[in-house]
Amino acid sequence: MDYSLNDDQAMIADALDKLAQQFELKPTEEEGFVLFGAKLDEALEDSQYFDIAAIPEMGTVSAALAVERLARLPYTVEAALSMLVRPQLDIELPRPVAIVENGRPGRFVDTARTLIIINGDEVGIAHPAAHEMETVAESIYAYPMGRLVGTPEVKWLSAEEADKVRQWIRVACAAEMAGLIQAAIDCTVEHLSVRKQFGRPLGSFQALRHRMAECAVLVGGVRWLTYKAASTGDAGDAALAAFHAQDSATRVCYDMHQMMGAMGMTLEMPLHLWTYRMKALLSELGGRGGQASAVAEHCFDAA
Amino acid sequence: MDFNWTQEQQEFRSTVRTFLEATLPNNWEALAHGPGSETQTNFSKQFCSALSEAGLLVPHWPEHWGGRDADPWTAFILAEEMWAAGEPRGGQYMNVNWIGPTLMRFGTDAQQERYIPPMARGETLWCQGFSEPESGSDLASLRTRADRDGDRYLINGQKIWTSYAGMADTCFLLARTAPGKGGISIFLLPMDTPGITVRQIPSIIGEGDIHEVFFDNVEVPASARLGEEGQAWEIVRISLSLERVGIPRFALASRMLHRAVGILKKEGRFCGAAIEQAAKAHAACEASRLYSYSIIDQRCRDIQAGPEASAARFATVNAERSVGEFVVEHVPDALAGGDPLLMAHHQRAIVAGIASGAAEIQLNLIATELLELPREPR
Repeated sequence: MDYSLNDDQAMIADALDKLAQQFELKPTEEEGFVLFGAKLDEALEDSQYFDIAAIPEMGTVSAALAVERLARLPYTVEAALSMLVRPQLDIELPRPVAIVENGRPGRFVDTARTLIIINGDEVGIAHPAAHEMETVAESIYAYPMGRLVGTPEVKWLSAEEADKVRQWIRVACAAEMAGLIQAAIDCTVEHLSVRKQFGRPLGSFQALRHRMAECAVLVGGVRWLTYKAASTGDAGDAALAAFHAQDSATRVCYDMHQMMGAMGMTLEMPLHLWTYRMKALLSELGGRGGQASAVAEHCFDAA
Repeated sequence: MDFNWTQEQQEFRSTVRTFLEATLPNNWEALAHGPGSETQTNFSKQFCSALSEAGLLVPHWPEHWGGRDADPWTAFILAEEMWAAGEPRGGQYMNVNWIGPTLMRFGTDAQQERYIPPMARGETLWCQGFSEPESGSDLASLRTRADRDGDRYLINGQKIWTSYAGMADTCFLLARTAPGKGGISIFLLPMDTPGITVRQIPSIIGEGDIHEVFFDNVEVPASARLGEEGQAWEIVRISLSLERVGIPRFALASRMLHRAVGILKKEGRFCGAAIEQAAKAHAACEASRLYSYSIIDQRCRDIQAGPEASAARFATVNAERSVGEFVVEHVPDALAGGDPLLMAHHQRAIVAGIASGAAEIQLNLIATELLELPREPR
């Protein structure tokens, strides 16, 4: 057991943190629901961060740390699937990578060069042409959303490969959710620390302090379960991490908006960037019900 | 980061399990009822003596005091296995976790010689004289007085909710020697000292668990004081940081969850809402486990536990609550005489968010120290 980062992991976390700091500030003009980080994507690509899971000294834990860190930024890029799912398949998969689950619109689908097609129990890979996808402009999820409108050729995976892809989508979802939840909490803490009502900061009222603390406990749990799932490569660990991530996010989304009050309804306040991304992840792989079935299969088999 | 146990740690866990299988009687699951009962306390003394002889009671203590200087992981693996088995050490787990180590750090030579060897042999039970009728979470407001009179103190007052007091040999007592938080002192008080009256409080946890303890002109020598006058707050803060993640409640909660799921599966009822609720409870148990492990990992590196220990404690409360709710909703027969172990667990689990500092106090600490939210005005 070792719960600290090794030297390589600490080094990559530090380097990524420095890079991320350049993208911490949200532009002052209103940008709507989506804030895509084209320059961030370029910077990550240039430094080959999307491939760190394949480097033995870094591995999947470093990739999970990176996804979690990047998800805390106001700018979003397609990182989770590229960093955590892509390395699990022995096929060349150009990024961005996106998921089309049972024909629904998905994040980054309109620009994806690789699609993970999920139809019920079947999982396949497609490389669509640009005209086979379209942007969903009317979405309220804070990711660039797109839908598949064409019928690209799909290479269906074996059951074993499909299981592996689903497992690592769960890890990716949990890692991204951990970052989103943390950012939403941080943003709300800042608000509660400065906003005064009844003559004192809102954050000094116990009713709010306790709710915030409970959410902080939840995100810590999501983080540890994610790191463990990334480290062990165990399907049960992945299912637990994704379940806890989706379950915790459901609560955090509501609580953070409630505590941010009307301020949180404005696009000027960045909270929606994280909470409306969480909402997009809540339904992934069947949502809590889907993860629970996986937990039952992998963790209660012997019960 | 590495989430795997070493070969040595796995072997140690296996040794503890083998010991438990060989030592616990066949009717242990029924006996586990009533954590402070006479039956269980007597059993615990025999059990802890055997544990001591096998070198499994205090392996993490220094060699000088009967241990082998094992690391905090060893102590925690031991605690997990004991708690998952229904804690056959009874109240003696407190000696092992924090009373012994506290005496080693702050006790005089005479206090150490008198009290530590019986703990290491598994022969003695302590109780913790902290809470009072008017001082629960607000511990610093306690009123029990220790008035200095030459080379002795006279103790007067009352403690309440005191676990194991009915059968305890010694009390780790907090009493006031001066006003304010800095006016509290610790006394190591034999429970057979004249002037002490113990009254059991019937409780939903089981027989012999909680008590009222009255002190009526109890005379103790000044040599019974642990540390300096007024040093209690400093000592207790350190002791309770060991206690905060001292009980691996998630280990038994997780075992009980699997037991309940096993019952449902056998009856063909593990489906639908039960699956989702079981997943929630399992995730809560595992989150609690990893939180606790992260604190043990810090302990191995001599890092003083910060607010993360409070988060770990609250995660454990979540785990106990989730498992309890699952059992009540899906395996209700178990709590109506159907399964003594599930029943005993359910009775004890209610303590998770109350004993050793209320969960809400932990939330306050997390809000202030981890999130750095503004403090509540007092």
